[in-house]
Amino acid sequence: MSAGRQAGEQLTQQPPGEATGRSGPSRRRLLTGAGLFGAGAVAGGLAGYFTGSPDDSPGAAPGTQTIPFYGAHQAGIITPAQDRLAFGTMNVVPGASRADLRDLLRAWTGAAAQMAAGQLVGEESEANAPPVDTGEAVGSPVSRLTMTIGYGPALFDDRFGLAARKPAALADLPPLPNENLDPGYTGGDLCIQACSDNPLVAFHAVRNLARIGMGVVAHNWMELGFGRTSTTSTAQATPRNLLGFKDGTRNIKAEQADLQNRHVWVGQETDQPWLRGGSYLVARKIRMFVENWDRDYLADQEKVIGRAKVSGAPLSGGSEFSTPDFARTGADGQPAIPADAHIRLASPEHNGGIHILRRGYSFTDGIDPQAGTLLGGLFFIAFMKNPSQFVRLQTALAGDALNEYIHHTGSAVFACPPGLRPGQHWGDALFS
Amino acid sequence: MSSDGMRTRRRGAAAAIVAASLALVASGCSSSGSGSKGPAGTAASTDTTSTVIIDLTSQGCEPKPATVPAGPVSFEVANSGAGSVSEAELRTSDLAHILGEQENLTPGLSGSFSLTIQPGTYKISCPGASRQDWTFTVTGTATGPSWQSNPQLRAAVQGYAGYVKQNTADLVSHTRTFCRAINAQDMNQAKVLYPQVRVYYERIEPVAEVWGSLDTSIDGRWENPVTVRSQFTGFHRIEQMLWQDNSPNGASAMCSGLVTNEQQLLTLVSTAQYNPLEMASGAADLINEAGTSKISGEEERYSNTDLRVFAANVEASMKVVTLLQPYLQGQDSGLVPLIRQREAAVEKLLANLTATPGYDQTGYVEYTAVTKAERRQLSAAVNALAEAMSQMSARVSA
Repeated sequence: MSAGRQAGEQLTQQPPGEATGRSGPSRRRLLTGAGLFGAGAVAGGLAGYFTGSPDDSPGAAPGTQTIPFYGAHQAGIITPAQDRLAFGTMNVVPGASRADLRDLLRAWTGAAAQMAAGQLVGEESEANAPPVDTGEAVGSPVSRLTMTIGYGPALFDDRFGLAARKPAALADLPPLPNENLDPGYTGGDLCIQACSDNPLVAFHAVRNLARIGMGVVAHNWMELGFGRTSTTSTAQATPRNLLGFKDGTRNIKAEQADLQNRHVWVGQETDQPWLRGGSYLVARKIRMFVENWDRDYLADQEKVIGRAKVSGAPLSGGSEFSTPDFARTGADGQPAIPADAHIRLASPEHNGGIHILRRGYSFTDGIDPQAGTLLGGLFFIAFMKNPSQFVRLQTALAGDALNEYIHHTGSAVFACPPGLRPGQHWGDALFS
Repeated sequence: MSSDGMRTRRRGAAAAIVAASLALVASGCSSSGSGSKGPAGTAASTDTTSTVIIDLTSQGCEPKPATVPAGPVSFEVANSGAGSVSEAELRTSDLAHILGEQENLTPGLSGSFSLTIQPGTYKISCPGASRQDWTFTVTGTATGPSWQSNPQLRAAVQGYAGYVKQNTADLVSHTRTFCRAINAQDMNQAKVLYPQVRVYYERIEPVAEVWGSLDTSIDGRWENPVTVRSQFTGFHRIEQMLWQDNSPNGASAMCSGLVTNEQQLLTLVSTAQYNPLEMASGAADLINEAGTSKISGEEERYSNTDLRVFAANVEASMKVVTLLQPYLQGQDSGLVPLIRQREAAVEKLLANLTATPGYDQTGYVEYTAVTKAERRQLSAAVNALAEAMSQMSARVSA
């Protein structure tokens, strides 16, 4: 029995060598989690919850596919983009210590590994104890759940003795064009990106990790994505964003290892060895003024983007995956892809060869309380070797024709550590 | 939180925009089928209309002839056999866009559609035939936009050019008066004059925004798109000085810089060319603008005089409707009444917010006094108006 208060009492002795005499409510609650999920004490093979089956098992029932939690890189980056997102950022609460944080990361690792394998968090609960797992995903197929962790710039301030571990490239983004950031959707000490083809499973992951973290971390802001807008594998069809256009046609794909090494994975260039094999995550909440967009005539919409709406082909001709010919002019002598078209200004050709791995989702927060219009757009997520890649691209988009219809309202940047081997925990490398 | 990112600088009137929009729009949207709405009948009567015969068979839809000179073309489509192919479409060569079509031609039926086509290669497509796509070539040199041969559209465009020029000239002269109050350190007078001057700019905004950096230096807001202090100039920097800083320091120099930029705008506007499509879509843009930056209170955030400029946006877009009305009535008799009905709904809501002499003599209450419920009602009405207005572009493009 390892659930509830009894488990907490029992596990205050564990993990070996870590109980260094600190006590107090938050410490004790945390160790409950650490005992449950840390130190490899994962109770495998629990029956009846959201069922997993081995990755790529042929003939697996829909939704039962699992994505390996362990690997050289964290899952959820080049994993073929799942359909749904739950993205939570959290701040470490005042008074929490370095040890609290380290223990939480260990506890999270265990819980995340369980959930990724299609198991529920912890063991079955006692009648007189609150259920360990919140339970809403029971019976839902695991649907390729991944959880990706990131550390925000503020985590490396003087609270946890991590200042010397701060990567030089990790800093809040500078002011960028076409943004008016809502502090309520900006920054965060930590982030969890949970992706799954099942919305409930993704939400469940963030909810349960946050619950385990109570007393150490608290919610900062959260966003749910209801439709992927990027393709991260050549095996996937290109989805459409809320503008009705295909998005991510030229994205970096899982199959392009060379592009990943050059543009996505942190390598030898970093000043922080713990981050090698990791990546930077830039999140931007981008509101789309969809009513205004919907009133624009088709030919103009296509000029704004630089692609045909239905086929996705660049206006320079060909089919969706034809390389845009930015030099081509139309019969009228004007560039076929206009000078201020979105795909021109965002292209590697226009930005010194820079690529980023986009992994965004459509979102809605309901209705704008003031205007009564739809409050939604693109929750943009991208992974890159250095956040300066995003800064360069967004700066280049200052003259984007699309700016008439979109506005950046939230922003955050996180350093995502590399993947783990079984037995390793998030934070081990950071705190060692 | 501000919710505005509107820069409509792509829109409106510059000659370059006109040229850029011709290739597809001029050829593409001027079609008319029998009974459908479109300005095909406006093609220059002096031009010779080419006739292309298309017989729909299960094998295809070969156009005869397959090559015609640029200009008005009439496609006579017939399903004289017993085949199930019932539709012929004129498409761009990449098949991405339908430029004109005649559909639902069951055996024995015939019909036609006509349009003015620019030189280039096109496809005639007939879904379901064993060979669906047939090449169709238009030779010769590009002709002028066909709207120029329509007196109603010509008059509308001329009327709009005059309206923009007059309002820009008024903008310059009223700004000069405004600057004199600032130079005299008469803050109260400057505050009364500010919203009056803004009206002229808000009327011509879709045109002014064609010149993006000039527009930004005249009308740019902090963080939208200006993020560098030294680049925050023009109306809204002065607005900030008057209402927020409560100090005229530096306002005189800022105001004379504003006049200089406005004079440059007047020069540009004097030679700008317009077309009906950009007029129509610019009108819808103005309403979009009213619905976003004014409803949110973002645009006049220091002075809270949003209602006066909101009214100016509506007024200027309705000017376009009035100018295009004679032509639109012939194309779609329901559209103008719908727009006017929805405008009346907006005006009725605005009327509830009038005051005499009003906040800073604007004729309206201060925007911060407008309740959340009133803002939402206004927003819904404005969106409905914009939605109707956005239907104009397809009717007038030629």
